[in-house]
Amino acid sequence: MKRRKILSLIITVVLATSLLAGCGTKAKTDDTKAAIATDKAVKITMLNTKGEILTQLEAAAKVFTTENPNITVEIIPVAAGVSPFQKISTMYAAGNAPTLAMLDPNDIPKVADKFADLSAEKWVKDASAGTLDAGSVNGKVMSFPLAIEGYGLIYNKVVLDKAKVDPSTIKTTKDLEAAFAKVQATGVAPMVLSPMDWSLGAHFLTTLYMDQSKEVGSPEKFIGELKAGKVDLSTNTVFNGLMTTFDVLKANNLDKKSPLAGVYEKAAEHLGKGEAGFWFMGNWAWPDIKKFDTANGQYGFIPVPISNNADDYGNSQIYAGSSKFIGVDTKNNDANQQAAGKKFLEWLVYSESGQDTLVNKCSLVPAFSNIKLEIKDPLGKSINQYLTDKRAIPTIATLPGDHWAQVGASMQKYLDGKSDKKALATDIQNYWKNIK
Amino acid sequence: MGNEKSFWGKFKTFSIYAGPSTFAFLTVMIIPFIYGVYLTFTSWDGLSEIHKFIGFENYIAVFKDTEFWTSLGFTGWYVLATVIITNAIAFLLAYVLTTGMKGQNIYRAGFFTPNLIGGIILGFIWKFVFSNILVYIGENFNLPFFETSWLADPKKAFWTLVIVAVWQYSGYMMIIYVAGFMNVPKDILEAASIDGANGFKKMKSIILPMMIPSFTVCLFLSLQRGFMAYEVNLALTGGGPYKTTELISMHVYNKAFLSQQYGVGQAEALILFIIVATITLIQVSITKKMEVEA
Repeated sequence: MKRRKILSLIITVVLATSLLAGCGTKAKTDDTKAAIATDKAVKITMLNTKGEILTQLEAAAKVFTTENPNITVEIIPVAAGVSPFQKISTMYAAGNAPTLAMLDPNDIPKVADKFADLSAEKWVKDASAGTLDAGSVNGKVMSFPLAIEGYGLIYNKVVLDKAKVDPSTIKTTKDLEAAFAKVQATGVAPMVLSPMDWSLGAHFLTTLYMDQSKEVGSPEKFIGELKAGKVDLSTNTVFNGLMTTFDVLKANNLDKKSPLAGVYEKAAEHLGKGEAGFWFMGNWAWPDIKKFDTANGQYGFIPVPISNNADDYGNSQIYAGSSKFIGVDTKNNDANQQAAGKKFLEWLVYSESGQDTLVNKCSLVPAFSNIKLEIKDPLGKSINQYLTDKRAIPTIATLPGDHWAQVGASMQKYLDGKSDKKALATDIQNYWKNIK
Repeated sequence: MGNEKSFWGKFKTFSIYAGPSTFAFLTVMIIPFIYGVYLTFTSWDGLSEIHKFIGFENYIAVFKDTEFWTSLGFTGWYVLATVIITNAIAFLLAYVLTTGMKGQNIYRAGFFTPNLIGGIILGFIWKFVFSNILVYIGENFNLPFFETSWLADPKKAFWTLVIVAVWQYSGYMMIIYVAGFMNVPKDILEAASIDGANGFKKMKSIILPMMIPSFTVCLFLSLQRGFMAYEVNLALTGGGPYKTTELISMHVYNKAFLSQQYGVGQAEALILFIIVATITLIQVSITKKMEVEA
């Protein structure tokens, strides 16, 4: 008798736990049940990996809910220093993936099997040329391009005017050096160079791959050769030219006494207050510069020159591409949530308040040609100008997940004077040789 | 109830008393651990739904990963510094705060407080101190030692980690040492005083031997915490400048989630587990042998 009691007790416990375990991975993916009950309240989540627009997105979520009372959107932030891939893999491991996941382009192929195919969405037709490429897998659109972002050397027009420097005439490394000297003569630091590994690794150094040749697909080809160990960077013209420019930036850096101590927010302050003439950064920095703006919104980009020949590829171009993609999860979110997520994306592109969020509130350069709102922020405007002039080199979307951290660390070492060009070249070559 | 001697009888008694905790321990510790060991033999990237069995390849990759061994060496120095300084300060504080000085309870609470602040917040607070406040002081009072941020220099960044860890944990260890001091029998101390022993002699021959159990616990805790340190490392230095202050936990985490080599990261975690378990077991067994009865 007693034995049976214990046995039944054990079975009950096992059953109860298996029930609990079931909760973790509920994946209601069968679309047959997609009789979407619009009258039912749906709660969706969105992972935001663009820290600078967090408050704007939270506000947009509230506006969206007032326009679509059945849907509430919760924005999930990610801590500084945690990569989007880190965050999304822990969320998937917990069986708690967000409905909408904002990721970097190179993450998309790895999560594509968990995302919904968005090829049939309305906004696909209105997307500007080339903006969907990095978010597509095998020809299917798997994610939504949130914004086009570009980077180069940002200048403060007021500082340059005082030094009598015309930014449009800077076309070579020598020009840049001369401009720096003129700015220096007015008693203002020519340049602030931010030491973050993502800025140096993911933005500055990647220009090395993109500037190699005008041909389409040349960055990928160059990376393939690096992986095969066939490239000797120390004799590569682009590498040497780029690092010569880097030395110029380094020598004119406001923080040169302690080059690794600079932080992003402080650099935005320096440029905004006119304490520095240039800053190597992208148009996402506008909200941060705006807080300290003393130049009445007169900022713009110039390219990072890589040689002393003005006609060389890369000397008159900046770098721009879709920087963040939003995918719709199908594993941890049911059909209603997926539909609500898609609705939110559509709302961003077609509704008045959605467009207002993208362009005015978040200062993004939208990837959709139907959005006619005038871009008000000077950096976005400058990027847009380069795009229409066809003077923007598309950014590479296929770098390995740890590229920015590893190569960024090598760049920091160089910036701190703890390694030379040769050691840096070897570091980069070794990094690529170990990538499978 | 009756039959306590049969297997079922014993099993029943065990289940009643230890069943729930055994069950919880199995499900949240042992089973994930075994599954984790299994994952070290696969090529999982941390996200995909399929994983291939690849044998010992991950372990070979660990031995080839020079950064792992550099990071382990760095962690070794970090543990050495934090264990010695934390315990020395904690012991001194405990000694002073058991002499019966005025307001000793307030001091005890004060020194314990840093331990109540979470690691991430603590990291950000100290980051502000090291990169803003100290730099400000250095610039305005002409102290070249503080003029540049400590976090930008590899050697100084190491000491920032040590300082914060010591500040955080010495209060906690102090409480354990205080308990140790209070457990030293007063009659023995009195007898020693009558026999003419001075303060130093009493400390060396009575107090220290009687406090070995406290040392066992404190050394174990500080060793284990040193090897497992992560949050302060993340929030304070983030492994920088250029990966020179990447403690081993952070390296393992980055390997698994940033480099997206989950199998290798998990294998490194297992090796780390074996190293930490060995060191702490040796430490506990040595200090246990030194314990004496009053």
